Amino acid sequence: MTLTAPETLTVAVDQCEPIPLRGRLTVAAGQLVALVGPSGAGKSSLLRIIAGLVRPQQGVVTLGATCWLDTDRRICVPPQARHVGMLFQHYALMPHCSAEANVALALWRLPRRERREQARLWLTRVGLPEPLWGRLPSALSGGEQQRVALARALATHPKVLLLDEPFSAVDALRRTELYALLAALRQELTIPIVMVTHDLMEARLLADEIAVIDRGELLQQGPTEHLYRSPRNARVAAILGIENRFAGRWLGPDPHRPGWGRLEWRAHSESDDAPVIAVLPARDKGRIPVGQAVHWVVQNDALTLRAADAPPCTGSPVRLAVTVTAVRSSGDFSRVEVALTAFPPLRWHITLTGRERHCFSAGEPAFLCLDPSWIHVMPIRRR
Amino acid sequence: MEWDALWLSCQLAAATLALLMPFGVWAGRTLAYHTFRGKAVIEGLVLLPLVLPPTVLGFYLLVALGGASPIGAWLHETFGVTLVFNFAGLLLASLLFNLPFVIPPVQRAFEAIDPRLRDAARVMGLPRYRIFWQVELPLTWRALVAAAVLTFVHTLGEFGVVLMVGGNIPGETRTIAIAIYDRVQAFDLAAANQMALVLLLVSLAAVVSTFTLSARTASPPHKE
Repeated sequence: MTLTAPETLTVAVDQCEPIPLRGRLTVAAGQLVALVGPSGAGKSSLLRIIAGLVRPQQGVVTLGATCWLDTDRRICVPPQARHVGMLFQHYALMPHCSAEANVALALWRLPRRERREQARLWLTRVGLPEPLWGRLPSALSGGEQQRVALARALATHPKVLLLDEPFSAVDALRRTELYALLAALRQELTIPIVMVTHDLMEARLLADEIAVIDRGELLQQGPTEHLYRSPRNARVAAILGIENRFAGRWLGPDPHRPGWGRLEWRAHSESDDAPVIAVLPARDKGRIPVGQAVHWVVQNDALTLRAADAPPCTGSPVRLAVTVTAVRSSGDFSRVEVALTAFPPLRWHITLTGRERHCFSAGEPAFLCLDPSWIHVMPIRRR
Repeated sequence: MEWDALWLSCQLAAATLALLMPFGVWAGRTLAYHTFRGKAVIEGLVLLPLVLPPTVLGFYLLVALGGASPIGAWLHETFGVTLVFNFAGLLLASLLFNLPFVIPPVQRAFEAIDPRLRDAARVMGLPRYRIFWQVELPLTWRALVAAAVLTFVHTLGEFGVVLMVGGNIPGETRTIAIAIYDRVQAFDLAAANQMALVLLLVSLAAVVSTFTLSARTASPPHKE
């Protein structure tokens, strides 16, 4: 375990009913952790446990030295006493209260006059124009409602900020503004922030760390780049949207090259007699037994696509003959899908930007250069 | 026009409201937000007066509370209270037969509140009484007023139970509905008509106002 700073939020849950939920989550002060996973994975449930809205069968939630929940010691601090700021999915603004009154409601502990002043201060900080302060939520757009909800969550100076799909009800145009707003507000916040999202781009853009949850199980938590480079298993890689995932077998360390091992690339992992595509070099961390069935992934950073007649790439010993099968342009970048010439059912995906992306079209032969130091090998654990 | 009878009916309806509304809001809210063993039975019992003939309800009340019954006798001996053929008995009967007019609509109204709003209020740290006054009540008051109006009018016009439990004692248990019946029996159709017309107009006004209120609750929020 790492050293626990005074205001670090730690969550550990273990329950089977009503929905299975298992795992640990640690969020340091000032850190934003994005909780990602498919819908129904238990992301919102975990958030509700932190807020105190539901009580897990077994679990411990602490903030620094304060214990909010400990089922073994029968401690369960009610949400009212936890002092959490929460931005709900679809915001849960009081429909009968104006924008200002919604924020003021959260400030009920202050004297009436101060409530109003503070509410206005926060509405200004989140950038809601003054003419809208008196409007009911139903007369505000999604983005405006989100600002009100954010002001309401932050106005009480919470000890933890929880964001449940904060941008799902906002159109794409407004989203960028709100990302900027959240990023700006974060600079001033020194509290743990947990954000539930199913949008991986959003998570990578805003979060310091990502925690991956699937079917109620917290699979892995770590710094964003680390997670993308070394996911714990194929499921984590799939949830993170790493498309270049393949099967193989670990052949053990390479006697001629210290620190490196040999990876047998196979067409699939379903049976032991799957066709062998190639033997690739990969970094050997000494953790995988020889002969172990593995999955392996490669991030886009390690890939270079070259036209068939282009000079070979430098420093990349692995060169794969491929055929371009699809090019999909998406704004400033293109997603290119290529099929391995030696075994066409295997596909690679590469993201290209700049002038490069106009050099390829479907049906053309090409070469894929792969930097093997980016190959990340994960043992398959059969359940 | 028997003003005494109308006045008595109004008193009965007002007293019923004063006692039943706080209880009804509590009971309806409890049924809306809590699950417990026997909840379905309670919900069924609450609806029973709606399907039971009023005379049947009145008859059992009379049997249960009359001087010959153990409860009636005990009440009389211990507190010196009689609950038949007087206003108190009428009030008790009125409370019972109005249960289905108050509790189910109140329950629906509380159930209709988005649970996330209550969650948000709890996370904001609002104590329970504030959640009730500042979140739940503003979102349910229309339904509560509608239930109150219906109960008031329903009490004004109730006949069967009142006749069984209260009889026809002028100034004590002779309500306007009994008076109408009494006038018709005496072939005084003009007086009966006057009173009937008053009841008709009051009921009509009540129904219209209730519908207006619930229509406003149901209307979608306007969007700019």
